[in-house]
Amino acid sequence: MEVIQQLIGRLHPVVVHLPIGFIITGLLLQWYDRKENNLTNIIALVFLWGFIAATIACISGYFLYLGEGYAFDTVALHLWSGVFTALFSLLMFLRLKEVSEKIFLKRLPIVMLSFSLLFLISITGHLGGNITHGSDYLTEPLPQNIKTLLGIRSDTYEMPVLQEDNWEEAVLYEEVVQPILNNKCVSCHNPKKDKGELQLQEEKGILKGGENGAIIKTNDPENSSIYARLVLPLDHEDHMPPKDKTQLTKEEIEIIKAWIANNNDFDKKIGELGLQKELFTAFFPKTHKDIYPNITVAEASMDSIVSLKTKGLHIEPISVDNNFLKVSCTNNPLFGDEDVKSLAPILKQTVYLDLGDTQITDEVFDFISQFPNLTVLKLDKTDISGKHIEKLKNLEHLTVLNLTGTSFKEEHLSVLSAFKQLKTVYLYNTPLAENNIDKTINETHYNFGNYKLPIRASDSIIY
Amino acid sequence: MNNIDRLIKEKIERELQANTRRHFIKNCVTGMGGLALGSFFMSCNSFSSKNGNGKIALTERDVNPLASLAPPFPAKVKSVIYLHMAGAPSQLEMFDYKPMLQKLDGQLTPQSMLEGKKFAFIRGTPKLLGPQAEFKQEGESGNWVSNFLPHFSKVVDEVSFLKAVNTDQFNHGPAQLFMQTGSPRLGRPSIGSWVTYGLGSENQNLPGFVVLTSGGKTPDAGKSVWGSGFLPSVYQGVQCRSKGDPVLYIDDPKGISRDLKKNTIDAINKINKEEFNKYSDPEILARINQYEMAYRMQTAVPEIMNINNEPEHIKEMYGVKPGKESFANNCLLARKLVEDGVRFVQLYDWGWDSHGTDHGTAVDLGLRNKCTEIDRPMSALLLDLKQRGLLDETLVVWGGEFGRTPMQENREGQEMAYKGRDHHGDAFTMWMAGGGIKKGASHGVTDEIGYSALEGKVSVHDVHATILHLLGFNHEQFTFDFQGRPFRLTDVEGHVINEILA
Repeated sequence: MEVIQQLIGRLHPVVVHLPIGFIITGLLLQWYDRKENNLTNIIALVFLWGFIAATIACISGYFLYLGEGYAFDTVALHLWSGVFTALFSLLMFLRLKEVSEKIFLKRLPIVMLSFSLLFLISITGHLGGNITHGSDYLTEPLPQNIKTLLGIRSDTYEMPVLQEDNWEEAVLYEEVVQPILNNKCVSCHNPKKDKGELQLQEEKGILKGGENGAIIKTNDPENSSIYARLVLPLDHEDHMPPKDKTQLTKEEIEIIKAWIANNNDFDKKIGELGLQKELFTAFFPKTHKDIYPNITVAEASMDSIVSLKTKGLHIEPISVDNNFLKVSCTNNPLFGDEDVKSLAPILKQTVYLDLGDTQITDEVFDFISQFPNLTVLKLDKTDISGKHIEKLKNLEHLTVLNLTGTSFKEEHLSVLSAFKQLKTVYLYNTPLAENNIDKTINETHYNFGNYKLPIRASDSIIY
Repeated sequence: MNNIDRLIKEKIERELQANTRRHFIKNCVTGMGGLALGSFFMSCNSFSSKNGNGKIALTERDVNPLASLAPPFPAKVKSVIYLHMAGAPSQLEMFDYKPMLQKLDGQLTPQSMLEGKKFAFIRGTPKLLGPQAEFKQEGESGNWVSNFLPHFSKVVDEVSFLKAVNTDQFNHGPAQLFMQTGSPRLGRPSIGSWVTYGLGSENQNLPGFVVLTSGGKTPDAGKSVWGSGFLPSVYQGVQCRSKGDPVLYIDDPKGISRDLKKNTIDAINKINKEEFNKYSDPEILARINQYEMAYRMQTAVPEIMNINNEPEHIKEMYGVKPGKESFANNCLLARKLVEDGVRFVQLYDWGWDSHGTDHGTAVDLGLRNKCTEIDRPMSALLLDLKQRGLLDETLVVWGGEFGRTPMQENREGQEMAYKGRDHHGDAFTMWMAGGGIKKGASHGVTDEIGYSALEGKVSVHDVHATILHLLGFNHEQFTFDFQGRPFRLTDVEGHVINEILA
């Protein structure tokens, strides 16, 4: 039984064309017959067939949905619009035959039914097409500028990526050169659109060259037009890619040059060719160069962020796709020791905490010591004196500590030397600043500021 | 029944009369059709965002256009201070030391140098003009700085020089537009607008993009250099003044007390809130937010624009002139604004157009005075940011819209009484300092007379790409769709200048 159900289901793409044909025929006949009204009986019959065919299509479609494991959400609109198409065909038949004595049926305007059917059959068909071919099937062949006008974005090729630990194992042509060509050249030089009779999507086309002959002179990049044209001035007629297209980066151009200079080899690995690592550094994944911990944490709950924001806190992720947060009290100068505790739901995520210019006191260190990933801590312009600051010494990522404009005391300074990762401490405008100058002890830079610019005679000379 | 009630009753009755049963049915037909159509289209649109209740979800941005957004990549800096010397300062008297030019002083320029070049005022064959300043290598970096900038020479190790910046514009207006918006023609958003659009602003009581001008005039290109172009106008620069009202019309009108103002705004917002409940149009929420922000700005802006509360030693370091319009005041204000979480502060100082037509524009006289005006303030700005721990998270950019010729200007082909230089965009100097920038680096070399770039030539787009990079953007992916295509600050060009990045 299941086999038959599946078979009927798979006939759906065939069966659906029947109701489309009948209904369109019916509508065309109605239009043809709009003045004389001689063909009403025939038209009614056509719509009856339309109804029967649509019903069969609905049933087969339902079986297809059951058999092929589509999600109901994907097919819901298509399914319902199909059912409505069948219903409206029936209504049209009943209306035309006037079999029913029901008053509402007689009052239904035929034109409205016709337009509804036209609309329904188009939409049903389109939605069905979207399910089988994908929703970008129709728009995919449009030119790029029309696509952007319609707000459709197309996929671009992935940029080549090499790994720091095995970059020498990558095949130069396959994993670097061709991806660059795919990104920057192939959109005009491919089998469908071979500008200058040149195709760059594979080895064969590259070696064959274009209308001006070969584009590569092995080991002589300067005389290989595939390279030489890249480095012509942008305004030069022969420059490639054309001025208004995306240009190759400096690093990509160097790769093309190095590839030609090394036999334009299609198979060898970078290591076998003995190329320098510097050539490829631009293709390594962006290394983690910022100061924040190189670990990932779970995302903070949206609700707790929203509720903290309503308290006037500024919270932003350090970047898209990164769950670490920057937190600042710039907009809430009344923030105090008790309020800090409201940050409990985002302890792990907070890497940058700006409590500057608020009401906090030395009591706050107890709580701050619970932020495991805290990297930058700003306590400037507060009543901090430094008592209990030793509680922060277990924060293994704390890198920058800003204590400017506080009453930080000399006696607490020595505690800071136990902070392992601490790189910079700002102490300008504290009682210490008067008698100290900037110094670096054990990789921690103590900035006392108090910079002065001497008064010079030349300051007031007017020439 | 008094007159008002009677009027209201009449209005209600009129409305009822206007809506007959026929209207109702007619509206139903189109209305229902529209509803059906709408829901069909909705299903075709893969971009529509819905939350669980079927309502379109409001983002924070819908409500508050300056709400902060995360940058695509972790940013090196969170704010920018851009010091633009309007009129184009002479690199040959400040940073680009050319001893050979001294030797060639007074000689006629070879024809080969003039062919195919366009100048604003130079005609015929001009004479070369040697540097009018004395140069020394300063700091540990050994970068050259002239004696026109004695204070700056002491902080030179904080900055990275770009010695061969190139622009294709040689008149002030277009060149300033190019430098600030990425296009020499009107209509593009300025750097500050792009940045506040992309990142929002931290301080919700102050504008995200503040403009401060000095030197007596605003830039030749007009206010478009801080305009928002095709971006929503909320992202344009807000010009603040160090003399008079900090923002025009910020005071309450005479006879209107602050309480009355608050009540007025509350009432307006209440009505707007009711409108929102009825129509759910996020624009209404944005408007409510704007009213509230304007009200908060009325106290926050005058407070931050008041430099009198700063301690004496700070005022002395910058060399401020309270109550006047000066570059020094603006530098101090820039620090205060950045300290309080303003995203982008743009300074313009006018008066750098050293043509040599009079005393004030002579490269050995007027230019020297201009240098004295900025020397102390910009050096103080770097030091003050540094001691407050702000230089690590702020980018400071200095430059003009182009540079000046190694030739002496000969307006109308005549020899001129004062020594001046004409506009020249082939190679000029800019510098950057702050988070993510190398300390004491110098990138780019010009030829022996400072006429064109030999190596390390960078374009205006490259400068923009670098600024965006430090703020956490890939300049090629930071776009805004307008008139059928995505626009970028860097158009289709620009490379990040890795050579000056730490």
